Amino acid sequence: MLNAPEASPTGRRVISAVVIVVALVLQVSVANRLPLPGGVTPDLVLLSVVALALVSGSLTGCVAGFCAGLAADIVPPADHTIGRYALVYCIIGYVCGIAAAEMDRQSMVPFFAVAAGALLGTVAYAAIGMLLGDPRASWTIVARMVPLQVLYDVIASPFVVWAVLRATRRYERPERGRDRFSVPAARYRAMSGRTRL
Amino acid sequence: MNDTRRSRVVLGVLLVAALAMITIDYRGGDSSPLRGLRGAGEAVFGPVERASAAVVRPVGNGLDAVFNAPGERRRADRLQRENQRLRDQLRTTRIDQGKAAQLDRLLGSAGLGGYKIVAANVISAGQGLEDTVTIDAGSGSGIHTDMTVMSADGLVGRVTRVGPATATVLLATDVNSSIGARLEDSKEIGIVQGRGRRGLGDGGRTPIRFQLLDANAPVKVGQRLVTLGSQGDRPYVPGVPIGTVERIDAPGGGLTRTAYVQPFVHFTSLDVVAVVVAPPKSDPRDAVLPPTPTPSTPPPAPSPSGSPGPGRKAGKSSSAAGPSPKPSPTP
Repeated sequence: MLNAPEASPTGRRVISAVVIVVALVLQVSVANRLPLPGGVTPDLVLLSVVALALVSGSLTGCVAGFCAGLAADIVPPADHTIGRYALVYCIIGYVCGIAAAEMDRQSMVPFFAVAAGALLGTVAYAAIGMLLGDPRASWTIVARMVPLQVLYDVIASPFVVWAVLRATRRYERPERGRDRFSVPAARYRAMSGRTRL
Repeated sequence: MNDTRRSRVVLGVLLVAALAMITIDYRGGDSSPLRGLRGAGEAVFGPVERASAAVVRPVGNGLDAVFNAPGERRRADRLQRENQRLRDQLRTTRIDQGKAAQLDRLLGSAGLGGYKIVAANVISAGQGLEDTVTIDAGSGSGIHTDMTVMSADGLVGRVTRVGPATATVLLATDVNSSIGARLEDSKEIGIVQGRGRRGLGDGGRTPIRFQLLDANAPVKVGQRLVTLGSQGDRPYVPGVPIGTVERIDAPGGGLTRTAYVQPFVHFTSLDVVAVVVAPPKSDPRDAVLPPTPTPSTPPPAPSPSGSPGPGRKAGKSSSAAGPSPKPSPTP
C-alpha cells in the first residue's frame, strides 16, 4: 500500500498501512456511530495520518495521507467525490511531517500540532466541498460542525497518537527491548526526539 | 535536503493525482469511471466492516447493558417484535384509521401486493459531512439501488449503492436526501429534506424539514408525515411514517412554507433496519387493488390521477414524488 521510495524498513510501511486500515475501520464502524452530542465524531484517520507524519517525516506523511484519504474516499458508506480526503490528508501529512522536523522535544508540542492538523484538515475538507458546490458543505452546517469536530479531535488525539506511536515503535527502535512498563509520555518524548534524524 | 526535495516531488505528484480524481469523479457524476474504484472499496472493506461489526457489536451491547440496563431490556423486547412489526407496518399505520382511509388503502395494497423485506444490521456510518450508513446486506440478498429502507419506527432512507455483501444507505437526514411526503390528515404534499449531519438543528430534535408545496395549506404542530411514494415505488414506497411536525416557520414571503420535523426514527442509534425489496415484475397489485380507479390524493402527479386507464395505475398515480423534487404545482 505504501510504496514510498524511502530507505526505510519494509516493516514500517506495512505497519503504517495496518495503522491506516485499522483507523479507518474503527472510524466507520465505531467512531462514526457514537451518539456524541452535536452529531460530530472525531476523525481517527486524520489523527493517525498526523501521528504517522510526526513520527516518520513529510515523505511518509504525504504518501500515507494520500493512501489513507483514498481509502476513506472509497470505504463503503462514503458518498462524496472521490479524491477529496486524498487531497486533504496528503496535504496534512506533508505539513505535519515538515512541522515535525522543527519540533521541540517538549512533550506538549505534538499535541498542539495534532490540534492544528485537525483544524486544518477539517476546514480544508469543508472548503473543497464548498468549491465543488456540495450542499452538505453549506456554510451553516460547516460553521456548526468545525469547532466541535476540532474539539473532539483534540480530545481523541492523545489516545490515537499514543496508539500509533506504540504500533510504530517496534520498527523505529529495533535494537531496544520492549519495555512495556515505561511511561507513555517518556516514550513519546523519546520518540519525538528521535524523529529529527 | 535531498529528502525534502524528493518529498516535495512526491507531494506534487500526489496532489495532482488527487485533483485529477476529484475532477474526473465530479465531472463524471454517477457514471464516472472512478465508480469502479468505489466498487473495489466496497468489495474490500465490506467484509472487513462486517467482521469489525461482529466484533464491535457484542462489546457495544455489553457496555450498553451495563450503562443502560432498562433501555437495553426495552430494546431487546423491541428487537424480538421486530419482524412482526415491520410486516404490520406495511399493511397499516399508526395514523388514525378514520382520517386516513385512503392511506390505508394504499398501504393495504402495498402489503397485499407482496412486498418483501430484507432485514439488515447497520455496520458502519459515514464520515465527515455526509449522513450515510452501511448495512450488512447486499446484492446477494436481492438488494438493488433505490430501495426504501425503514426501521420498526419509520423511514430511514434509501439504498444508494450496493456491494456484494454490503449496501450504502443515504439517510433521510442527509442534505442530499429529498423525499416526497404528505401530511397525515390534510393530505397536503411537500418535500422532506435533511438538514445535514444527524443531530444538527435544535440540538438534534429536528434533523429534517418539510417544505409544503402549497404556501396556504394549513399545517399544525403535532401533525404526522408519511411518505408519498415514488413512481414505481422506487426509491420510496408510499405510507412509511416519517415524523411529527415540531415547529413551523412563520410564513414569510416565500412560495413554500417550511416545517421542522422530528423523525420517528432515532438516527443516532440505528441498528436493525429493513430494506423493502421491490415487488416482482409481474406486479401482484393488479389483483389486489379495488376495481374502481379512485383518485386517492389531491393530484400531485403530473398526470391527472383519475384518467389513466388500468386500475392499478390509479393507485400509483398518487405516488409521484421521486428522490428529487419534482416540478411542483406552484401557487
